[in-house]
Amino acid sequence: MVRHYLVLAVKVLLRRKFFTFISLFGISFTLLVLTVVAAFFDHAFGPGQEEPRQARTLYVERTLMYGPHSTSGSSGGFRLFDRYARDLPGLERLSLHENTHTVHTYLDGKKISSALKRTDDEYWRILEFRFVEGTSFGTADVAEARFVAVINMATRDRIFGGRPALGQTLEADGQRFRVIGVVENVSSLRTVPYADIWVPYTTAKTDAFKREITGGWNAMALAKDKASMAAIHEEFNSRLLRVELPDPKDYQALVAPFETRLASFARDMPLADRKDPESQVWRFVGLLTLLGLLFVLVPAVNLVNINISRIMERASEIGVRKAFGAPARTLVGQFLVENILLTVIGGAVGFVLSIFVLQAITDSGLFTYARFTINLRVFGWGMAFAVLFGLISGVYPAWRMSRLNPVQALKGGSR
Amino acid sequence: MTRHLLRLIWNRKRQNFLLTVEIFFSFLTLFGVVLIAMQYANNARHPVGYQIARVWSIGVDRKEPAGDPAVRARHRETYDQLVRALGDMPEIEVVAAGFTGPYSNSNWGSGTDLTGGRNVNFGVNSVTDGYRDLFDIPIAEGRWFSREDDAATWKPVVINRRLAHQIFGEGNAVGQIIPEAPDRDDPDPASAAKRLSKRIVGVIDEFRQDGELSAPQNYLFYRMRLDSADPEANLPERIFVRLRPGTPASFEESLVKRAMAVAGSWSFEVEAVEDMRTDKLRSYTTPLMVVGTIAGFLLLMVALGLTGVVWQSVTQRIREFGLRRAKGATIPNVRVQVLSEIALMTSLAVVAAVILLAQVPLLPLPRDLTGIPASVFMASIVVTVIAIYVLTLACGWQPSRLATRIQPAEALHYE
Repeated sequence: MVRHYLVLAVKVLLRRKFFTFISLFGISFTLLVLTVVAAFFDHAFGPGQEEPRQARTLYVERTLMYGPHSTSGSSGGFRLFDRYARDLPGLERLSLHENTHTVHTYLDGKKISSALKRTDDEYWRILEFRFVEGTSFGTADVAEARFVAVINMATRDRIFGGRPALGQTLEADGQRFRVIGVVENVSSLRTVPYADIWVPYTTAKTDAFKREITGGWNAMALAKDKASMAAIHEEFNSRLLRVELPDPKDYQALVAPFETRLASFARDMPLADRKDPESQVWRFVGLLTLLGLLFVLVPAVNLVNINISRIMERASEIGVRKAFGAPARTLVGQFLVENILLTVIGGAVGFVLSIFVLQAITDSGLFTYARFTINLRVFGWGMAFAVLFGLISGVYPAWRMSRLNPVQALKGGSR
Repeated sequence: MTRHLLRLIWNRKRQNFLLTVEIFFSFLTLFGVVLIAMQYANNARHPVGYQIARVWSIGVDRKEPAGDPAVRARHRETYDQLVRALGDMPEIEVVAAGFTGPYSNSNWGSGTDLTGGRNVNFGVNSVTDGYRDLFDIPIAEGRWFSREDDAATWKPVVINRRLAHQIFGEGNAVGQIIPEAPDRDDPDPASAAKRLSKRIVGVIDEFRQDGELSAPQNYLFYRMRLDSADPEANLPERIFVRLRPGTPASFEESLVKRAMAVAGSWSFEVEAVEDMRTDKLRSYTTPLMVVGTIAGFLLLMVALGLTGVVWQSVTQRIREFGLRRAKGATIPNVRVQVLSEIALMTSLAVVAAVILLAQVPLLPLPRDLTGIPASVFMASIVVTVIAIYVLTLACGWQPSRLATRIQPAEALHYE
């Protein structure tokens, strides 16, 4: 029966090409935008090349201090994690690393800017980089503050003209480092693995950071298993209560949860309650869904209008089917199948277009080293959007169609 | 005639309702984009209040928090030496230091309660005496900071004309003390006495830190002294230099080397303010372009959909139009009928949308928050109304021709 519906649907779509074109244009554009947004999210928060163990990794990227009159947001400080997070229960590894800094190298009077990140050795054990040359720095390099650096391919191209860089010397921020590894470029939207140059944190110009509770540092915790993640989160939160805050007159409480990257991003969005990290992901997802529905509203109403017109045109066909005893349910089903077929075709067109749009965004260089691609997850989202959109825009016209009076419909009347 | 049209629309109310809804949401979407664009265009008409030709901004990272008074004193001395050392370089015309500068991303906002219960908010900056000369800020009344202020027992401040007007109305501001109410949160009389009153030494035309597209705001400058004896006094975050004409970009390397020679453990980030301007303007225009493109496609989709629906309904009503023409209606009469029906539906949607938007200025939002003048709001409504009428009538143009193409005799028995 469904096969019969599909054949009929294709016939109907081909009969009025202008209408079909309008519908497909609207559907593919709408699904194009939704797919691009889904690809962005997948790129920024999905499992990535460098973070294969993301499912059992927690991060502290944003902290907040607050008191009765003031709030102050920043990243955490070295001492906060060094003193309170090292022996958390259920922890397999803990990495402390700095936010990236922009550093400059002057080469024949030209300035080359790079993002430099100071990290510990555990950083290289939790993340998986793809090395093109050499390897990362280890425990001894960090302990003895050796001036060694891992660079990405873009930096190798800019500073060493793309030639092998192993053993070469690199000057950054007035310090000289020996290159011991070259890795593939990492997207700047993956804030934890992203940098151009990575060096041991012990090479910092001063060690004043070791006394700081807030500012400049991130912690990344790899849990032993998924079950330990909650324990890490809870235990660290309870330890935060006894942290001595730097300015107890202004700030009495510190929020610095071990959380997923999406949670940490959600907590930084407008309208989020930053003091209460627990419910923010759901709030954020809810807000996104609401925005998505608002965006889909205009195309959906548009498609509903076109669908109704299309139905009125087929009034006599529907009249015949009703006169021969087709129940309303069957007619609704038939029309929904037709409409979902249409949105899935539109979705496929939008999907192909989104590949070009994502390629254009990648080429624009707006997001450093980001390569937006379509994968199976994004494809799944796109198809889900298409079917959902087909349902939203198909139900009302189908209901109208099923309620046509057979006698009037046979005459082609519409009221 | 209008009553008759209304009845015809009412007879097809379900379908016309959906069309009206579609036009309503299109109106709101278009209005959002037009409003932002008009706001930018309006902002861009006013001067920013400074010159940035040949000015470089040097961001300073001191790598060490200066909470401790001894560290603070040491840092202040280093800054003093830095400013002198840079000022001695032959390529540099003027040097100044401050908290922030034009097109920079660091902002400092503050507010105060005036006696009488009014509250004013303003952007704040703290700068050395050379800052005015460096950015060529025109003085409207009074003078800029100078050595004259060294012995002052008050805090000398320079404010912009807008803030002066908000505090003193039409009255003279220079020489006045800002009438601040005692701090409600700090009833301790000792600390209230310690809080120095702010005395206005000069009024400038304008200082729009975020550049030409930003909404004009209130602004206040504090005087910063690098030879201050006060341990609590603010430290600069940036140093600004204006180069002599013809200085090449490669001078940056010697500039950083010279700065490093004075403060080896600090990091410096040099950027031409022209480049910061480009980035800042892009941060305003890029989101508008993305939203504008999406809104443009949405409108195109709605326009196509509307054309299709009107086309369909005209085809269905061929017999009705045939009857009208048989009874003596001319071709223009029939076309006017089709277009008036669309215009009426558009009017319904527009009236509903305008009634909704008229609530926005009535909401108890603070004026500073929206920053959108009533004139811009009104103008955006007018532009959007015209655009929507043009759009919907254009969509009805071709179908209305179709309605009159068929001969009355043929139309009367058209199936």
